[in-house]
Amino acid sequence: MFKTKIIYRLIAVFLVFAIMVLVPFSFTIIKQVNNMIQEEEKFEKPRDDEYARMHQEFIPKLIDQMIPYAFYILVMAFFLAIFFLRNMLVSLRQLQKGSLALKDGNLDIRLEVTSDDELGDATKAFNEMAVALKEKTLELRQKDRYINAMLDPLWVVDEDNNIVDVNPAFTRFFGYRKEDIVGASVYDFFDEKNAGIMRKQLEDRRDLGISSTYEINILTKEGVQVPVLISGSPIYSDDRIIGKIGILKDFREQNDLRNELRRSKEYVETVMDSIEDQLIVIDKDFRIIKANKIAMMNARGAVIGEYCHAVAHEKTRPCWTEGRECPAQTVFMTGRNYRTTHQHAGVAGEKKFHEIVASPIKDATGNVLHVIELIRDVTDRIRHEEEIFNKNRELVALNSVAGLLSRSLRSDEIFAKVLDKMIEMMKMDGGGIFFLDETKKEMTCQYHRGISDEYVKIMGRVRMGEDIPGRVAVTGQIITTADISKDARIERSIMKHSGMKGYCCIPIRGKERIIGVFCLFSFRTHAFTTEEESILNSIGEMTGIALENIRLYEKMRKLYEYQRKRREEEQAQMLSLSTKLGSAIELRDVLGKVLDLIKNFFGADFVWLLVRDRDENLLLKASSSFVGAEDTVVYTRGISSVEGYSLEKRTPTVIQDIRTESKFYLAPELAGMAYQSAISVPMYIGDKPVGVYVLYYLGSREFKEEDLHFLRIIANVLTVSIERSDYYSKSIMEKVLSDSILQSVAEGIITVGTDARIISVNRAFEKMTGVQAAHAVGMPICDVLEFRDENIDFRISLGECLEMALQGSRAGKEGVLTSSAGIKIPMMISSAPILDADGKVQGAVNLLRDISREKEIDRMKTDIIRSVSHEFRTPLSAIVGMTEMILDGDVDETRSRKYLTTILSEGLRLSHMVSDLLSIARIESGMESMRYETIDMKGLLKEIEASFSSLIEKKKASLSYDIDGMPLFVGDTEKIKQLLMNLVDNGLMFSDQGCTIEIQLKKSDNIFEIRVSDSGWGIPEEDMGHLTERFFRGRHGEKIKGTGLGLSLCSEIVKMHGGSMEFKSRVGKGTEVILSFPCKEEK
Amino acid sequence: MSKVIVIDDEPFILMMIEDKLKKAKIDVITLRESRNAADVIRREKPDLVILDWMMPELSGIDLCRLLKKDPDMLNIPIFMLTAKGQDADEQLGLRCGVTRYITKPFSPKALLEMVQEVVGK
Repeated sequence: MFKTKIIYRLIAVFLVFAIMVLVPFSFTIIKQVNNMIQEEEKFEKPRDDEYARMHQEFIPKLIDQMIPYAFYILVMAFFLAIFFLRNMLVSLRQLQKGSLALKDGNLDIRLEVTSDDELGDATKAFNEMAVALKEKTLELRQKDRYINAMLDPLWVVDEDNNIVDVNPAFTRFFGYRKEDIVGASVYDFFDEKNAGIMRKQLEDRRDLGISSTYEINILTKEGVQVPVLISGSPIYSDDRIIGKIGILKDFREQNDLRNELRRSKEYVETVMDSIEDQLIVIDKDFRIIKANKIAMMNARGAVIGEYCHAVAHEKTRPCWTEGRECPAQTVFMTGRNYRTTHQHAGVAGEKKFHEIVASPIKDATGNVLHVIELIRDVTDRIRHEEEIFNKNRELVALNSVAGLLSRSLRSDEIFAKVLDKMIEMMKMDGGGIFFLDETKKEMTCQYHRGISDEYVKIMGRVRMGEDIPGRVAVTGQIITTADISKDARIERSIMKHSGMKGYCCIPIRGKERIIGVFCLFSFRTHAFTTEEESILNSIGEMTGIALENIRLYEKMRKLYEYQRKRREEEQAQMLSLSTKLGSAIELRDVLGKVLDLIKNFFGADFVWLLVRDRDENLLLKASSSFVGAEDTVVYTRGISSVEGYSLEKRTPTVIQDIRTESKFYLAPELAGMAYQSAISVPMYIGDKPVGVYVLYYLGSREFKEEDLHFLRIIANVLTVSIERSDYYSKSIMEKVLSDSILQSVAEGIITVGTDARIISVNRAFEKMTGVQAAHAVGMPICDVLEFRDENIDFRISLGECLEMALQGSRAGKEGVLTSSAGIKIPMMISSAPILDADGKVQGAVNLLRDISREKEIDRMKTDIIRSVSHEFRTPLSAIVGMTEMILDGDVDETRSRKYLTTILSEGLRLSHMVSDLLSIARIESGMESMRYETIDMKGLLKEIEASFSSLIEKKKASLSYDIDGMPLFVGDTEKIKQLLMNLVDNGLMFSDQGCTIEIQLKKSDNIFEIRVSDSGWGIPEEDMGHLTERFFRGRHGEKIKGTGLGLSLCSEIVKMHGGSMEFKSRVGKGTEVILSFPCKEEK
Repeated sequence: MSKVIVIDDEPFILMMIEDKLKKAKIDVITLRESRNAADVIRREKPDLVILDWMMPELSGIDLCRLLKKDPDMLNIPIFMLTAKGQDADEQLGLRCGVTRYITKPFSPKALLEMVQEVVGK
């Protein structure tokens, strides 16, 4: 169909119009012209005036004619216009109304199409537009809803970073009103620092078209900084970025969490840093991942991220020497705490001893993730230990020298022994004694050790003042040198090129003069300490005095007697002092008594002992009579006192009359006692002042050199004791921790010294053996297990392990320990040496691990393998051997048949064994199901009897059963049959000819009881516990073939029925098996 | 003709050995019980005794010890034919004077060769 176009209509109208106008117009003109022609014809001869008039009238006449037409045209045009306008206006008005409705949001408006012209098309287009607009608007609204529903604030910015739009969440979150912020710059929402971050993100990243996520603090309307996570991305229009959109996620919670995390991390670090010991955490690659401040301070370079062995030892791999293993490695391997002492280099490269306690950090499954090491500087402790050790050694030597001198009157014996003692004590290689002949001014070597007689001939005679012995004899001063061959102080000496290095020459001092000298030498360099010198001097003096005594023995018997007595007393005194002090760890208990001894020996009226604390105050430690509590400050630092003076001077100080000595302040405790004289003896260990002890006298008192000497020795003894006691109390504290670990270990631990005597045992040891720690400590290790004779082998094994350990290597052995309660426990003994810093063995640690479980498993495994292989071998013999013979043609056809029958039956036996094994496995794995039914026990027993008839006949045995009122039993028939057959079979097999088997059935109190008893060999005591173990063959198993599976299977069947199985047996009498089942409802 | 005594509580083992040895012209006496075996051996003076270890009443190893104590029977070679296959068992057997320790399952042919080696063809 043709659409009517406006233009066609217009043309049609125009044509009508034209016809309507032109036709009358044409008629008019034609009529006018005709008129003119008629008039012209009328006036053939026109008169001029007429003519003229005619002409003049023509125009008005024409006009007169035209006017009605013009009017007509106007009227026509008017009607046409109205006709047109009316139609168009209707459509246009409709369109206008529709547009207004759209503007007001009425998207459902549809316009009626009244014409099929362009306006109609426009109306249709309008309708379609309205539909499309509605869809679009709905879509937009949907999107708006999404955006409005967003919980996270969102903003849209233009290319100048001014905000174009935000979502309601934004206004909610930050408190701004939307109209206030649209148009504002995004930078207005940040402080200076955050604005910088923002600028960087907006300009560097998003301008390049990169989305970015970053954390920033934004200001709310209240001016509060709120942490947010902004994810921003550019908005494109035609490949051009026209703005950016950003989602601002509330990050307060995360921020709080992070702060919390950081705080807790800081807390941990603070805790770590506040530990006075070094603390490091090491990962599996032995890299340090964490270290506290102390650890950082004690390292020479970087710590975190470095290998622990590189930091500690400057090594390229972890330590591996036995006894010095890398603690981290050990913990990673064992998963247990580990304690060791390592030698490390300090910050300045000095030697440091560190005690390391390494503990595992495990995850939930017990894997060791990291190792945490607590490293304690024990250098001082070890030094002190060494010092005390040396001091002790010297005192022991001194004691024995004193003993030698006081016991003997024979000078040659004294000198030989003293010389030997000195060589031994100083660890020298040899020495000699020169005696002075005053008349010849010459010295002769009389005793020597470690040098040849020829050499003595050359250098055995020295003139006074010559060479070292001569010089010492003149000056009376000890000469020591670490290396005589290099010592510049000694210019000329015959010893210079003799190969000797360490050398010392000690005067033997009599009461008034030098009697001779001791010379000691070593082929190694030996630096003599001042203590050693003082000890040597003491020995020289003691020897000299002793020698003089001997020389004057005859003449001065009295004096000698006095000396001897005195030496004896001193010796006794020393011995009692040493014993008291040496054995005491709790010094307090004995110090009072010791001071009493001193007081009595020297006839003093009062003795006290003060110790110096760290602040240099002098504290009361002990006194012969009570003057105050222990540890009360007697003299504060700086107060001038006799005690302080002698301690400062490092020498015994004698005060003849204390009342006149105004420079010394007397403690108020003593001021009222009117003491007159006093002697104050300082106590030093190395260079460290320990304290002082003072003897006060009411009267005046002379002090001889020998008194002073003895007082000095006592001072030494006291010093060592006090220091040791101090050290012990410290080390006890330190050991509490490690002890608690030791105590909680499941393995028995015995620590022994080099003399194989027990130093400590832990709780596990007590538990294993029943021996109390208090009883064990101090005992030789092998004697501690003497409580049972059976332990002899175990003791030997332990002894062998220990011997290895004391020689410096590790050793392990298995053995069986019998506890005091008589329980036998298989044990793994492992012994390891305890080494000191120099690698010297100081003792050994013995670990006793209970390996019963491993042994048990091991035994069961072996039994299974043995039984399987063994029990399968016999039937296999038939199968293999007989087949071979048939194939070889060894047997004829009738024989072959018999052979094949045997092969079949043995094959079946094999298959029974396999199925027995499988039954047990199936029952155990829970795959076997029960088929409960009421069992006719009488019928079942008859069946069993029938199946054993041939065996019963062969054994001349009898089988009887007693069914009490024929009870009905509910169970799995097949299984119960198997159970009873196994038990009857056992009864028949493990018995002699003519045995009797009895089966009793009884029901009482809801218990169904089956008793199977025989008059067989009985089960030996030691087998009773193992009867139901798989493959267990008792002592009788040697004689009877079997699988060791029967009772194991029985036990499983009984368990499945919810019952229990009990064995009563006596060897030689028989066995009774009692099965008890709970009664079940009849089915 | 050589004479061999075989003692085993498993009849088919006896049957196999008897068949194999007899075919090689060796006289065989079989015993199913070890109880009176010592008497039989003393009486028969065989050239070889083949013993099972695990037998009721008197185990093979005990019988072996018994034979080795008796000066008359001391020199009779003994084969231990047993299912006990462990090294420790074999060591114990050899310590008790067993000439050969053969574990089951065994090849009758190989056993015959070993017997012939001892008793002579």
